Amino acid sequence: MDKLGVITAFIHSIVAINIPLLYGTVGEIVVEKSGSLNLGVEGTMAVGAIFGYICGCLANSLGVGILAAFLTGALCGLLFALLTVTLQANQNITGLTLTTFGLGIYFFVGNSLKGPDWPTLNNAVNVKNGFADLSIPLLSKIPVIGKGLFSHNILVYLGIIIAVALWWYLKHTTLGLKLRSVGENPAAADSVGINVKLMKYVHICLGSGIMGLGGYYMALLMSGSFNSACWINGYGWIAVALVIFANWNPSLAIAGTFVFGFFNTLRVSGSSLAKAFPALLGWLDKIPVQLYQALPFIITAIVLVVTSIRNKRGSSGLPAALGTNYYREDR
Amino acid sequence: MNGFFSKMPRLPFHIVKRENCPLWMKCCFYLAAIVIALLAGALVLWAIDVDPWDYYYQMFTMGAVGNKRAYKIYMNYIKEFLPLALTSVALSLAFKMKFWNIGGEGQFIMGAVSAAFVAFKLGPVAPAWVTLIVMCITAMVIAGIYGLIAGILKVRFGTNETLMTLMLNYIALYFLTFIGETKADWNFFLQEKSARPVFESFKDIVIFPSIPLGEKFELNVCFILTLMVGAIIFVYLKYTKQGYEISVVGDSPNTAHYAGMKVNRIVLRTVFLSASLVGLAAAFKVGSSGVLSTSITDDVGWTGIIVAWLAQLNTGMIFIVSALICVLQFGSVNAASEFARVDSSFANMLQGLILFLVLAADFFIRFRIARTKKGE
Amino acid sequence: MAGYAIEMHGITKTFGSVVANKGVDLNVKSGEILALLGENGSGKTTLMNMLSGIYKPDSGSIYINGEAVSIDSPEDAKRLGIGMVHQHFKLVDVFSAADNIWMGKEKSGLVLKKKRYDEIKDITKRFGFDLDPTKKVYNMSVSEKQTLEIVKVLYYGAKIIILDEPTAVLTVQEIEKLFNVLRAMKAEGHAIIIITHKLNEVMEISDRVAIMRKGEYITTVNTSETSEQALTEWMVGHKVNLNIDRPVVEKTRPLLEVRNLTINNDEGATAIDNVSFYIRGGEILGVAGIAGCGQKELCEAIAGLRPIVSGQMIHKGDNIVGLPPKTILEKGISMSFIPEDRLGMGLAPSMSITDNMLLKNYRMGKSPLIDRKRGRKDALQVIEDLSVVTPSTETPVRRLSGGNVQKVLLGREIKAGPNVIITAYPVRGLDINSSYTIYNILNKQKLDGVGVLFVGEDLDVMMALCDKILVLCHGKVMGVVHAHKTTKEELGLMMTGSLDLSEKYADKPAGLAKDTFFEDENKKEG
Repeated sequence: MDKLGVITAFIHSIVAINIPLLYGTVGEIVVEKSGSLNLGVEGTMAVGAIFGYICGCLANSLGVGILAAFLTGALCGLLFALLTVTLQANQNITGLTLTTFGLGIYFFVGNSLKGPDWPTLNNAVNVKNGFADLSIPLLSKIPVIGKGLFSHNILVYLGIIIAVALWWYLKHTTLGLKLRSVGENPAAADSVGINVKLMKYVHICLGSGIMGLGGYYMALLMSGSFNSACWINGYGWIAVALVIFANWNPSLAIAGTFVFGFFNTLRVSGSSLAKAFPALLGWLDKIPVQLYQALPFIITAIVLVVTSIRNKRGSSGLPAALGTNYYREDR
Repeated sequence: MNGFFSKMPRLPFHIVKRENCPLWMKCCFYLAAIVIALLAGALVLWAIDVDPWDYYYQMFTMGAVGNKRAYKIYMNYIKEFLPLALTSVALSLAFKMKFWNIGGEGQFIMGAVSAAFVAFKLGPVAPAWVTLIVMCITAMVIAGIYGLIAGILKVRFGTNETLMTLMLNYIALYFLTFIGETKADWNFFLQEKSARPVFESFKDIVIFPSIPLGEKFELNVCFILTLMVGAIIFVYLKYTKQGYEISVVGDSPNTAHYAGMKVNRIVLRTVFLSASLVGLAAAFKVGSSGVLSTSITDDVGWTGIIVAWLAQLNTGMIFIVSALICVLQFGSVNAASEFARVDSSFANMLQGLILFLVLAADFFIRFRIARTKKGE
Repeated sequence: MAGYAIEMHGITKTFGSVVANKGVDLNVKSGEILALLGENGSGKTTLMNMLSGIYKPDSGSIYINGEAVSIDSPEDAKRLGIGMVHQHFKLVDVFSAADNIWMGKEKSGLVLKKKRYDEIKDITKRFGFDLDPTKKVYNMSVSEKQTLEIVKVLYYGAKIIILDEPTAVLTVQEIEKLFNVLRAMKAEGHAIIIITHKLNEVMEISDRVAIMRKGEYITTVNTSETSEQALTEWMVGHKVNLNIDRPVVEKTRPLLEVRNLTINNDEGATAIDNVSFYIRGGEILGVAGIAGCGQKELCEAIAGLRPIVSGQMIHKGDNIVGLPPKTILEKGISMSFIPEDRLGMGLAPSMSITDNMLLKNYRMGKSPLIDRKRGRKDALQVIEDLSVVTPSTETPVRRLSGGNVQKVLLGREIKAGPNVIITAYPVRGLDINSSYTIYNILNKQKLDGVGVLFVGEDLDVMMALCDKILVLCHGKVMGVVHAHKTTKEELGLMMTGSLDLSEKYADKPAGLAKDTFFEDENKKEG
């Protein structure tokens, strides 16, 4: 491979292999903006992944896969909402349980179907082709970065569109304003006639559905090969971290995804960079991969500390009522 | 769209906070939750053509009934049970203070690594009992310090401890995988001879002794130690001045401050204690298996949170709940070997289901549903 | 019965075993201001919360303009034209003023437009207010927030407006301004309910007064046909016979002296401004002032819970500035502050009475174990001495009713045998009998040579109980007067800042003791 090709491939991977993070993060932002801290991202993504993949393959349709992933993800959200919004259960515990439960379903379904009957992408041509890269005319012709940035599968574009749309939704629509008010001060939102419970339900489900899509992406990225390691493999937890890094802003989440993704990609293809540019980047080979894996969490921890030190009102996107349940008659 | 969001469904009932729920009622609610969860699980089993009765029997007896090697099963069961119980007890300390230490995983890992470090370095030159004690102390101190990071940040800057400890979990995890996957001269944690990175066992150097009971059954001293620690923590929380301080701080930090307590110091002390006990659990675990592994925690840091919560932070209940959860987990692994069709992950599903329903039952304990009287 | 904007019939609401409202009737006409009068804890707010959809009544019926309605949610209330300005504002801190209003607007379109600021500004002007629509709530003063709440309610088209203790946090000028607004709204045909327990305001602003006592509706009268005395009688139940003893005790040298004390509140604004006073043993010094005039900050500072900006505090001649709360406690200074929710400070609500008894002295003894036996003994004694109503000593304090909670708190403080008692609102929400129990306890302490600082609300009580009264207005001392020489009018004028007696005697500045422990001055004089 020529040297520029290595760079192009590297840029391409940064986008291609990290978009699930974007889905997870944006989904969690929507959930958290409604004031709910859902620690079940990992489980939700796993559920979306397995059902999306299997339904998509069986129906031989990417669209069905997307729909199934979204719906099963949203179902996880519904469960979370039922427990925390209606039944007032502790959000931390419910989220952790959701992760256990989701991973349980993932492995149960996966292991039950494993074997010769396992649906493969080769048999689901439409899914496979649907997931192939689409080049944006003109832009993808730019040397080096063109192929890297503007030639991706449809789920990449969808993810970016969702992120931007949600940014706009939160910031520039009335409903977004109402949602933010619920996350900031549910009592205030309630007092002006906003249906707090319904807002929470809808957005928890919407966010969880988006997480499910991220899971489906992961499944396709792994080409659906099912083994003892979960497809999601901690991406859900990185997403929880990324939400903080992105300051609860979906468009910043895109940037955050690529910052985190950069390190993640270095882990995967750092050695090819090192081989292509031994003089300049040879040292990349010497850095332990685990450092790259830990970096998202280290960076987030630092961001967390820095923001809490600054603690300037109005600058943080952290919803003030995050993690607390709302019960109207509480005085 | 706005109209859709402002329509209020009109219900013929509303929820009211319950003043006091009698014990028998609580028990009924929880029992009902578990039964419903098991029934739902049975439905799944039945759907994949497995006799739920047989499966549950196999699971709850862990295959020990009529098994000649039942002692082995019990011994393995205890091995799973101990770290979970101790970790839950440890976490309950912090939870009692409303400090959301969800960093059990990370603290466990730090404790395990430092205990192994001592085993490798001190084991060959010191008597076994000295090594074991130093292992425990080192694990406690290192894990405690690791927990203190979030505590100090919380006290000093108000950093959210839930998110902070979450991050620290993963940082610790990748630290452990780094050790476990890096072949290097300095890395004495790995086997020297193996070309692939494999954790070296220190079983032959030092290990927690077991006490033979009966013909074949051997009871690891960690079991006795864990029960002792549990009893001490029970007394600590309930009858000591420090335990009293924890309750007050958890109930109302303002009141604690008003009563002249040094709230920050109490928070730090308790967080340290909580994390260091997680470290102790790790030392027990590593010290009785004699080898590290990247999955050394068995997720006890996560499950422990749930156990502590389910047991409502009551030390005695924690032991019971973790024993039950372990039956679930251990039993289903066992049953999976009997029923090829049912994956061992069925346990996680069932566990999730039970927890969801118990959380739902909690609602009916805290609230009751009252019919809305139409005022005329 | 047409003509009423609101009618409430037989409204009953219970919280667990506590009956907050019992068969309450209430009605308001359009174009009228109704004052809802009652002591703290008499159920006024609960009743109004049922109009605003926060609570649902257990039984009873509500009519709006003669039509029976069911108010299940704030949304319903809004649709019915009911708007409430809550005592604790329901605003989103990080939103601008305009967004706080906009978020509850119906048919507000899909997209948030800049135009909304103009629209809100216009509306605000039209209602006769001045408010920057882009200003964030966290940058607003209390009165700005209140203005925003009123604009919000009006903007949603409320015809029935409820204000819950709107004057508690306002300055005199702001109150006057608010009243003008209310009169204007009344002229426009709004029905207004104003919750208060301040009689002078009732007389000034209202057309009719509805009185509640202990959750029950007493009566409604026309303001023009009644008097403060009559209202008070209805409010407290029987003729106010404030025959509180004021035993004369030989006073000691000052136990606690405060000089030029300045304290900030949580927001960093000055709460207590250059205040000086002293308390002798065997005297009760009252502190009067409108709620939120720095009383809380003062109490906290003396107890060592709040850092001071400048000034001196000495106890029996020893400096106590900068000492930790524990040391101040050990010196025998007891502080008990009854906040509005009654549980916020001084008690651990989920813990038993026994455990709460131990709160301040649990460290006693060398043993690492806690001495619950002592706690139980103390609990039993307090229960008996103050006739606390409780199932047992092991009942969580949270489950007790308000008055009993206060008795537990005060009982513990006195049990500790302090030499200085700082007590703020000890009779808040208590019935008359319980109040007298508390007065007797305080008098007994006084006879024992204890110095008492009594922060109170009720001027009649303070004039009868205290030896001297220190009047605060916006954190400044307006003077120290002898309780038996002063008049209610004088105190009222001082509290509102219209009368400043702090410089009355040039040779004897208010708040400085002749026989002070401050050494430098002793030397100067001696």
